[in-house]
Amino acid sequence: MSRSALASGSSIRFSPRPFAAGRAPAPVRILAGLVLPSALLLLWHNASTRGWAPPQILPAPAVAWSSFLDLLASGDLRTHVQASLIRVLISFALGSAAGLALGLAMGLSRRLDDLFGAVFHGINQVPTLGWLPVLIVVVGINDRLTHILIAQAVFVSVAINTQRGIRQVPERLVEVARAYRLSRTQSLRKVVLPAAVPQIFTGIRFGLANGWASLVVVELLVGSEGLGYLMSWGRQAFQLDLVLVAIVAVGIIGWILDAGLARLEGTFTAWRTGEAAA
Amino acid sequence: MPWAGGFSAIDRKPLKPEVDIMTTKGILEIRNLGKAFPANGRKGSLQALDGINLSIRPGEFVSIVGGSGCGKSTLLRLISGLDDEFQGEISIGGAPVRGTSLDRGIVFQDLRLLPWLTAEANIALALENSGLSKADKRQAVAEHLKLVGLEKFAQAYPHQLSGGMSQRVAIARGLVNRPGLLLLDEPFGALDALTRSRLQAELERIWREEGITMILVTHDVEEAVFLGDRVIVMEPGPGRIRRELRIPLPRPRRRSDPRFLEIKEDILREFTGPETAEAESLEPAGRPLAEARLDWAA
Repeated sequence: MSRSALASGSSIRFSPRPFAAGRAPAPVRILAGLVLPSALLLLWHNASTRGWAPPQILPAPAVAWSSFLDLLASGDLRTHVQASLIRVLISFALGSAAGLALGLAMGLSRRLDDLFGAVFHGINQVPTLGWLPVLIVVVGINDRLTHILIAQAVFVSVAINTQRGIRQVPERLVEVARAYRLSRTQSLRKVVLPAAVPQIFTGIRFGLANGWASLVVVELLVGSEGLGYLMSWGRQAFQLDLVLVAIVAVGIIGWILDAGLARLEGTFTAWRTGEAAA
Repeated sequence: MPWAGGFSAIDRKPLKPEVDIMTTKGILEIRNLGKAFPANGRKGSLQALDGINLSIRPGEFVSIVGGSGCGKSTLLRLISGLDDEFQGEISIGGAPVRGTSLDRGIVFQDLRLLPWLTAEANIALALENSGLSKADKRQAVAEHLKLVGLEKFAQAYPHQLSGGMSQRVAIARGLVNRPGLLLLDEPFGALDALTRSRLQAELERIWREEGITMILVTHDVEEAVFLGDRVIVMEPGPGRIRRELRIPLPRPRRRSDPRFLEIKEDILREFTGPETAEAESLEPAGRPLAEARLDWAA
């Protein structure tokens, strides 16, 4: 009896993406995403042609566009973007590596958490740029300042979320590891880390977003290259078209960085959609 | 702090698999077993189990039945070694039970499949420290997938499986180490009636084929009678054994057999007497009596 019963029991749905059905097709979603930017562009266009604001303060979209093309042709845009990206990537690499290490340690050891946890959650309450005055005094206004500040932003966010992710692994899954006598390393690899991945990535993504945003502010003060510098320079030269180009570039690059991390996260959590892990 | 306790209790080094003949072949002896939990926010403690004596022969199928709060799941956890703070003695073949062992498989009430591992990988997890070669592990996993009829779903993730199929994966994981003893904690509680009776028959077949000692905890009297060589009836406040009976019916059993129904009625009567009402109300963290009764109606 049991065999045939089993066969009939196996007629389940094997759909790889159970929630995909409820969403609109991609072209529609892309169009929907363009509605607001187009409206803003139209508003901007109207504002400049009707003279709602003087052209020094609000240059026409066409002016901004041609500045963009100029910056692109001269290679200036590339220099600034590259400078900012290198800064943020170095700081991000340092900050996230250290944050992961300390977060893991605090997640796995109550004692370390008792030692560092309170301080950490305190530090987390201070905005990244709140450290700027102190750091300027200690390291001066230079690239080291940028690296330290951004790395710190990433570090705190990654450490706290990694610790939290590990602490929140359900006890019921940890018991499975105990029932099968997994070693500490085995249970970390098979049970604890996979369970903590979403929270860890929350920390990494928030850290990078925060780091990128702070970087631009620091660049307003420091250095002679970078998107923040371009903004500051444009403001001083009263070339608001440069500022606008820089703002859009900051937005787009920040978005791309986050999308890259989201993609990376997706490869770690491929099981959610049923695709075989890479 | 559940985490600290949980994690530090994991051994740092993979232990050698325990292929002790004594443990696989020996009698499970439980002597004067008691378990108290610290009571939340109150003085003293909550006695979950008290004076449990039980001995189980190798190859026997024992059902433990009782209402909520009678400590039946706690008893299973103590035998599994997941919890080793207790009074009294638990031993197998004369050797005291300490910590978990690959020779004692467990199927959890809530399955506890790891959602990021495929059915196959979930089963293979149990073999990490089995000492088998890679090829042997692969073969063992394939055999057990087949045993529970899921060979086509080796690559499926738990969220792609139905409740009954997930249950089979959990049973395969419990069996894959070829344990001498398999502990089942209300394994079919969350399934619909049809799937449940199908899996009960399935479990009985596996038990007959593999010759494993099985202890099944359930609140379903019919399930207990259908599967057990012996049924242990437990009562709450504190958890004790109220009655033990041998089920002399030949296998496979028919639920419509008058003798089957008679035994079932006999056990059910244990829970409808006036004494039970009193016991239920003594249960400190228990649910209202009416609700607990519903368990039995199901």
